[in-house]
Amino acid sequence: MAANASTNPSQLLPLELVDKCIGSRIHIVMKSDKEIVGTLLGFDDFVKLADMVLEDVTEFEITPEGRRITKLDQILLNGNNITMLVPGGEGPEV
Amino acid sequence: MANVGGGGGGAGKMADKEKKKKESILDLSKYIGKTIRVKFQGGREASGVLKGFDPLLNLVLDGTIEYMRDPDDQYKLTEDTRQLGLVVCRGTSVVLICPQDGMEAIPNPLIQQQDG
Repeated sequence: MAANASTNPSQLLPLELVDKCIGSRIHIVMKSDKEIVGTLLGFDDFVKLADMVLEDVTEFEITPEGRRITKLDQILLNGNNITMLVPGGEGPEV
Repeated sequence: MANVGGGGGGAGKMADKEKKKKESILDLSKYIGKTIRVKFQGGREASGVLKGFDPLLNLVLDGTIEYMRDPDDQYKLTEDTRQLGLVVCRGTSVVLICPQDGMEAIPNPLIQQQDG
């Protein structure tokens, strides 16, 4: 990339890690007490938002205890509220 | 003609933009391999070993422990922690980064004693 941003090449880039996760399970933690577990199909422009497309999705609400909705097919998740992504994560064990 | 003039002016502007490239004010490369504490919008906190980052402040943390705040918990860290392992933290959500060594919990210095 640009010579100015001299990031150490031996480090692990966040984008790369998410990219490796495509096709496998991923656990997404939102800013609020909500978590999403699903199979990552892809993500878009990671610059500002990173909306993610997931499949076979289970949605967890942490405070009211226990899982909320299980959605199949595919969802487009708005990247606005994503705080953390855990590749291969299975979500909160309830 | 007009295009050539526009091309020349454009080249000059491009040179200016090159100088104003996005530089991070915090050099995270010195934290690589170290345990850092990260706070997020929404009140979440996590700590882990910094494995990687990008200029947008997306982070890769390993051995991540997440601390969550409960209503009755306020700021007790020991409750509700969980191991997350290798995670990517969204830079858009990060509000604070500090080395785990460089911080400690202290009793609230701002509490005012009520005269009974």
